[in-house]
Amino acid sequence: MLSRVEVHPGRYHDSVRLMQASKALQGVDGVSSALVAMATELNLSLLEDMGFDMDAVVGIGPNDLLLAIHAESEEAIAAAHRALEEALTPNVVRSGGLDAPDPKTIGTAAKINGADVALLSVPGEHAFVEAMEALQEGLHVMIFSDNVPIADEITLKKYGLEHGLLVMGPDCGTTIVNGLGLGFANAVQPGSVSMVGASGTGIQEMCALLDDAGVGIRHALGTGSHDLSEDVGASSTLQALEALDEDPGTELIVVISKPPAAPVAEKVRRVAAACATPVVITFMGETTLEEGAGEVLDMLGRPRPTYESWEAPPRSHRPGSVRGLFSGGTLRSEARHVAMPLLGEIGTREGDDGHTFIDYGDDEYTQGRAHPMIDQTVRVERLAAAGQDESVGVVLMDVVLGYGANANPAAELAPIVERVVSAGAAVVVSLCGTSGDPQGRDAQASVLNDAGASVYLSNAAAAIEAARLATTRTSS
Amino acid sequence: MSDLSQLLDTEPVVATAGTDMLAASIEQQGSVVERADWRPPHAGTEKALAVLFSDDRMRDANATAISRMLAVRPHLVDIKVARDVFPGMTDRTFLHAGPPLEWDRASGPMRGAIIGAMLYEGLADDPDAAAAKAAGGAIDLSPCHHHGAVGPMAGVTSPSMPVAVVTDAAGDGVAYSTLNEGLGKVLRYGAFAQEAIDRLHWMDEVLGPVLSAVLRSRGPIDLQSLIAQALQMGDDGHNRNRAVTSLFLREIGGALVDGADAPIDQRAEVFKFIDGNDHFMLNLVMAAGKLGSDAASGVPASSLVTVMARNGTDFGIRLSGTGDQWFVAPAPPVDGLYLGAFTQEDASPDIGDSTITETVGLGGLAMAAAPAIVGFVGGTAAGAVRRTLAMYEITMAEHPAYQIPMLEFRGTPVGIDAARVVRTGVLPQINTGIAGKVPGTGMVGAGLVEAPMECFVQGINALAATMN
Amino acid sequence: MPGVASTAIRGVLSEPDTTATVLGTASHAVWLLVDREVIVVSTRDATRLPNGVEIAAGAAADVFRMVHHGASVTIGSGQVVFEGLTVDVVRWWNPRPILGRTSTTELAAATAGLPSTVPDVESGPLFAALSAGMPGGILNAAESLIGRGPGLTPEGDDYLAGALAATRTLGEAVGSAATAAMLDAVAGPLALLASIRTTTFSAALICHAVDGRVAAPAGALLRALAGRGDVALSHRDLMHVGHTSGPALAAGMVLGVRSLLQTQSTSQRR
Repeated sequence: MLSRVEVHPGRYHDSVRLMQASKALQGVDGVSSALVAMATELNLSLLEDMGFDMDAVVGIGPNDLLLAIHAESEEAIAAAHRALEEALTPNVVRSGGLDAPDPKTIGTAAKINGADVALLSVPGEHAFVEAMEALQEGLHVMIFSDNVPIADEITLKKYGLEHGLLVMGPDCGTTIVNGLGLGFANAVQPGSVSMVGASGTGIQEMCALLDDAGVGIRHALGTGSHDLSEDVGASSTLQALEALDEDPGTELIVVISKPPAAPVAEKVRRVAAACATPVVITFMGETTLEEGAGEVLDMLGRPRPTYESWEAPPRSHRPGSVRGLFSGGTLRSEARHVAMPLLGEIGTREGDDGHTFIDYGDDEYTQGRAHPMIDQTVRVERLAAAGQDESVGVVLMDVVLGYGANANPAAELAPIVERVVSAGAAVVVSLCGTSGDPQGRDAQASVLNDAGASVYLSNAAAAIEAARLATTRTSS
Repeated sequence: MSDLSQLLDTEPVVATAGTDMLAASIEQQGSVVERADWRPPHAGTEKALAVLFSDDRMRDANATAISRMLAVRPHLVDIKVARDVFPGMTDRTFLHAGPPLEWDRASGPMRGAIIGAMLYEGLADDPDAAAAKAAGGAIDLSPCHHHGAVGPMAGVTSPSMPVAVVTDAAGDGVAYSTLNEGLGKVLRYGAFAQEAIDRLHWMDEVLGPVLSAVLRSRGPIDLQSLIAQALQMGDDGHNRNRAVTSLFLREIGGALVDGADAPIDQRAEVFKFIDGNDHFMLNLVMAAGKLGSDAASGVPASSLVTVMARNGTDFGIRLSGTGDQWFVAPAPPVDGLYLGAFTQEDASPDIGDSTITETVGLGGLAMAAAPAIVGFVGGTAAGAVRRTLAMYEITMAEHPAYQIPMLEFRGTPVGIDAARVVRTGVLPQINTGIAGKVPGTGMVGAGLVEAPMECFVQGINALAATMN
Repeated sequence: MPGVASTAIRGVLSEPDTTATVLGTASHAVWLLVDREVIVVSTRDATRLPNGVEIAAGAAADVFRMVHHGASVTIGSGQVVFEGLTVDVVRWWNPRPILGRTSTTELAAATAGLPSTVPDVESGPLFAALSAGMPGGILNAAESLIGRGPGLTPEGDDYLAGALAATRTLGEAVGSAATAAMLDAVAGPLALLASIRTTTFSAALICHAVDGRVAAPAGALLRALAGRGDVALSHRDLMHVGHTSGPALAAGMVLGVRSLLQTQSTSQRR
């Protein structure tokens, strides 16, 4: 039988709490008796009666806390100490259900629900401080904010790497961890394919294609659009790759980005090749997301499907250029890449002659507005204008579904689509969505289709169709 | 096993700051999110904050500083005469509350207290002569804080006054404070009438020596233990000290009655004096706080606020990482309830070192422990609780010894972080008495005041400048 | 309101609508019988179960107050529809913890000092049968364990479930094919035995456990034992689950590991 008597000077607790603590200690496995009390004369004589060594308590007084344990083993004593701390430590964060003020910093918020991921969308110039605090508190950080200085990104990622924490972003729009989507994310079926992407919409499109092919997704880790720049050097991409390689639940990894600078691309390829888990690299611009999805399916030994589409009834449309109205840069880039061999030159700015694919997520169109994936006002106007513009023969648009995006984009677009089609132009929609998306993918497709648009799940397929329509005169 | 395996093995638990859309879309997926109600930091601090957060130095320094503040074990060991404990104190040296101050900028109560002390010390024959001499530079004024001391309201400490000596049982520190005179026409409120002077004489002839004899007889008094108990009896340590004063009287009662080597009639006078003064312990609570404050000072890179103090003209703070620098701003008016016929017109700007209590997790920060105060300061009990809860946002720790029963015995918020103050806009809450601006008026009311943001802005910018 | 469901019950949730009966309700859960399967719809502060759908509300919100014992409920097409409350399943979780690989040495170290018994529940026969790899012995041991003790999930049931789940998942993690075969052989008879001897709900949990599907806190401990988490923390969390359930599950899991280590060392000696 081991005995331990400890004195904690100046540590005060009221008597009821101490009696509860004593009781808790006595319930610990291996503890045969215990006393936790202030060292008053009465309690000191109790201590003596319990057979403890009184030498340890010479000179202590009623303002000192006594801890005395009779136990079978050192483990039991250690367990008793833990039980004591638990008994004397009050509920740290929410106190008795009272009306507490809201947390004002990410650090305080995270303590309330024990968060392990911080999701930040504060203005870019303030993101650094909040992100550093989150990292210092041991959280992984997803920074949705853009316009964060590159030096800040480098500091954050360096700190994250040193502390085993992942920094997703800045300018990271999409992440999925174990099926929970952060930012703009689609509902995915659970599975064992994971992704790392510098492009949020790229991740979303890949999810949509794989979902249609019946492949489930485990994780999709966004790295932010600047991760593969030479300055940042793929820090988060490589960190994520390594982690996914070791993740026993991931059987295949897909890397998605626009093509990085050669030295960075080389680094990524090298690390990917060294992974035990197979890695499919999709640098859009060198290839398409549809092709990337195809490679994934090949590796899984599954057939490549024809992705879902909802074709408009055949009708003729006026001659003219293709006007692309995109809600983000990624799908615009892929569409342009796919369509240029068929159409020739494609401009990227409003007012350019001939074929033009515009990114309405660009700063100049989003002043004082939410992202076009949420607020369609500008694109709706441009769609109507394209209908009126006799030089436009085909309109190509992306509609991105999923959590965070507009609750019912098709309803807002359909009336305009109808008018545009009646005016004589063709409308092709690239619908990026999964079967589980809250908007209801198929219902959205039907509404747009009924209004006269041809809808394609694959962005590449939509772009090809738009190009085909522009170079022929009829819809089939 | 990679570092990220915990993240990848489990479902994320998310906290957000920024647009609500992101939090809402997580909730749509059947998960719960904690949202931070984020706002940009105070203008003019962004660059400094970026510097302070660029690595772990401030964070580590703060951990060191707060642990030093919380490690002190203040004990009252003796009462001595001021001239015997302050090195370099001459017959013309007066200590005062708050940051450095000269006569020409001093407010009514401060001038009144200086005049009164001069009369007490025999440095002038009448108030007008005293004022003239003080204006002419006859008195060396120095902040109590520069000498390991604190003083409530005007806090004027002159050479003949008895001072409590509070030492740290866990270290080498020592702190001092004058003894509390009681309410009414007293020196610390700027009174210099004969009754105030007479009382000061009685204190140095009787009160000081008797208490010293008591301490010799029964040994040192553990102040932290008394304060911790009192906090669970409705005191806040700043504006309400009735419980801790009662406990103190019990501590010394035995020796007062039998044991202290002093004449019985003097012991009786001392008993009655303390018994009649609900605020007696304030000065000792403040000295205990000063011990923690000094222990936590001088940690490079630390944004811990070690001092908040007012001299009736300026409100000043000090940070652990910026050495002896004071960051001052005009003392704000107090939002309070006034006694009798007094109004805000009669009030002096905020004054006193008693905000040392808020600095160590008592006073306004512990308001939830003393909801009885709110009637006096015009609020509601629920409001008192909310004010304390708001303070956890800007403090570094929860006090291990000072607990609030109403908050499930949660430790009081302690260790004000100047960086969090400027980030969140949340200012330390202070409960305080209000002095009359005409010297000698005494207390005219009590209320709530917030420390001025300007002090923290200056402090954070200075702290960032020390980081290279 | 949105719900998160176990992939183990995807079938019944995704198929066309069918009728379920309410077996019981509490402020934190509703137990439903669908064909012969038990599904639990529970609040976020209740334990996440392998046959469960979790909603974001807490028990204090009392969202199930309108649901009565014996009421009819519609399940299917991704929804559970009560009168006055519809739960849409929007997300899934995997009740079978993914453990990767570990070694017997690491397992032995991870379980050192953890209790493998609870009072009033006999462990000897189960340990012997699991160590020897004898399906018949497991069934015999199960016969004395199942249904023993009061409550929705009797202590003996939880103990057995813990042992089976640990043997299944950690057996796979150390690469033991024999363990999997043993459990496959015993699964069917065990299901039958459980259906006779204990509550429908508890029998369901035993069946899930044989296949390595467990409540979330148990899954966390299994991951920790496989070297993917903090053993002390997850053990403590599991111990706090339920009244006797948590400790019984935890002890059963440790017994399962010990028997696995015994099997492995025996087979190494051969």
